[in-house]
Amino acid sequence: MSFARRQHGGPLLRGLVVLGLVVFVVWSAGPVVWLIVSSLLEQQALISQPPDVSPSAFTLDNFVQVIAAAAALGKGILNSLMVALFSTAVSLALGAPAAYALARLPVPRANNIAFLILATQMLPGIAIAIPLFIAISKLGLIDSVFSLGFVYLSFNLPIVVWILRGFFLGIPVGIERAAAVDGAGVFATFWHIVLPISIPPLAAAAVFAFVEAWNEFFFALILTRQSAQTVPLVIAQFAGQYQTVFGQMMAAAVISVAPVIVLAIVFRNQIVRGFADGMTKG
Amino acid sequence: MTVTAATFEQRRRRVGLLFVLPALLVLAAVLGYPIVDSIMLALQRVTLTGGAIQQSWVGFDNFQRLFADATFQRAALNTAYFSAMEVVLVVLISLGVAVLLNHPMGRFGVFRILLIVPWAIAPVANAVLWKWILHANYGVLNGILKGLGLIDHYHVWLGTPVSALNFLLLVDVWKSVPFVALLILAGLQRVPSILYRAAYMDGAGPVQSFLHVTLPTIRSVIAIAVVLQTIWSLRVFDIVFVLTRGGPADATALLNFLAYRVTFNFLDLGYGSAIANVIFAITMLLAILYVWLLWPRPAGAKR
Repeated sequence: MSFARRQHGGPLLRGLVVLGLVVFVVWSAGPVVWLIVSSLLEQQALISQPPDVSPSAFTLDNFVQVIAAAAALGKGILNSLMVALFSTAVSLALGAPAAYALARLPVPRANNIAFLILATQMLPGIAIAIPLFIAISKLGLIDSVFSLGFVYLSFNLPIVVWILRGFFLGIPVGIERAAAVDGAGVFATFWHIVLPISIPPLAAAAVFAFVEAWNEFFFALILTRQSAQTVPLVIAQFAGQYQTVFGQMMAAAVISVAPVIVLAIVFRNQIVRGFADGMTKG
Repeated sequence: MTVTAATFEQRRRRVGLLFVLPALLVLAAVLGYPIVDSIMLALQRVTLTGGAIQQSWVGFDNFQRLFADATFQRAALNTAYFSAMEVVLVVLISLGVAVLLNHPMGRFGVFRILLIVPWAIAPVANAVLWKWILHANYGVLNGILKGLGLIDHYHVWLGTPVSALNFLLLVDVWKSVPFVALLILAGLQRVPSILYRAAYMDGAGPVQSFLHVTLPTIRSVIAIAVVLQTIWSLRVFDIVFVLTRGGPADATALLNFLAYRVTFNFLDLGYGSAIANVIFAITMLLAILYVWLLWPRPAGAKR
């Protein structure tokens, strides 16, 4: 038996792999499929036992009703968009130069600083949430998308620094040397040479930060009231108030997760590679 | 020549500091200041009455209260069980999934998509979805299990203490596996295939080459997965908030949720900070322990 054949394994192993893959697909896709199907079924079809999944039971009513009934959902999507874009943009603007300096420039104790930045992620959200709540209340900035977006830098900036630093560490030194020999300063090298070849990791970091900010619930619960409520808050509230309109609940959930799922699927390879590189290098 | 070289290095150093400083300032504001203040708050009695915050120093009173607080001890036990189970389950299942998807038959893009979707679903939306799946009267889980003849009546899955805690665990494992699996998968793909070839030449079967080639090579990735998952499972909040609010009878009150409830429902900010500091201390101790235990030893030391 050749090595290539051997990698596939014997019939027993292959059987186990097929079985494993089937279990994996049912386990991962099952709940998501049920989420989507539920959002498309009439209430009556949903609560009959077993649920009526005949084609005639499918409808877009849940979506129409949720959008009409929950004005908060539209507002929430807008708020989430602003919070996520703000926090992603600032994370990249501050994190990319910082990551480059920590990977490439003679910053004293660069490795220690980088490790400390990562280690901050051990801080439980609740520990920093209480002082931040007090400080932001005193400043009168509770219930503002910008204070929430700023607080999100506490997790997005470190993760962006780590993803990008992992990539910058892997750039061949020769590229920067050549730029320096050509007379380019550090700024010019960073801006004209390093950033253009870093588009994939920058995209990965941006998507990662955006998804984390879009989905965040805990800080949003504490730091917003009405006008800055983000999507997760609206969904949680909706699920608490309309416990029995299951289809609408699922429709609201589908609307809230659709944008980031599309992003995540499109950028799936970059996200994982970026995250894995950042974690395992240096 | 040496003069220009020195100034060039100096310039690089100066630009380096300029590049790092803004990020560090922001992190000092959103992480450094709060963590210091959180320790100080834990040493105070802080109450919120009529929108005004009142503070007075009480020394270690808040920490002493922990020893007499049955709810805290219950939450600590819940959290210990929840986190230990979650780390073990997530890392083992993820390792299994990663190995499956690294097998030639598992290398289809659609499987990766199946992994990234649960990661991207907001924890709140995930919790809402499972609230529906686990619903006592119309939930699909009851329907399926009854249909298969595994149960004879519909269960209130989130209604009894042990069952509720274990279902929260299931929901969070479901949500956490994909990302860890992707992380391990990325590690698996970096194992040089020459090593497998060498193991094959030496007559190693699939199990042997997994144990002696794969596992040692991805040791640092496993270590990262264990540390990250520990951190993540100690901060579980969203699913508790949506699914059970800590009930029934505080069976699903995890430390993080308790700290939130004490702080923002009971408005006892000092005591809440004390609980938060306990969570922080536990997280840090565990992370240090894992890194010490699991990190690959430098070359020369025995693996």
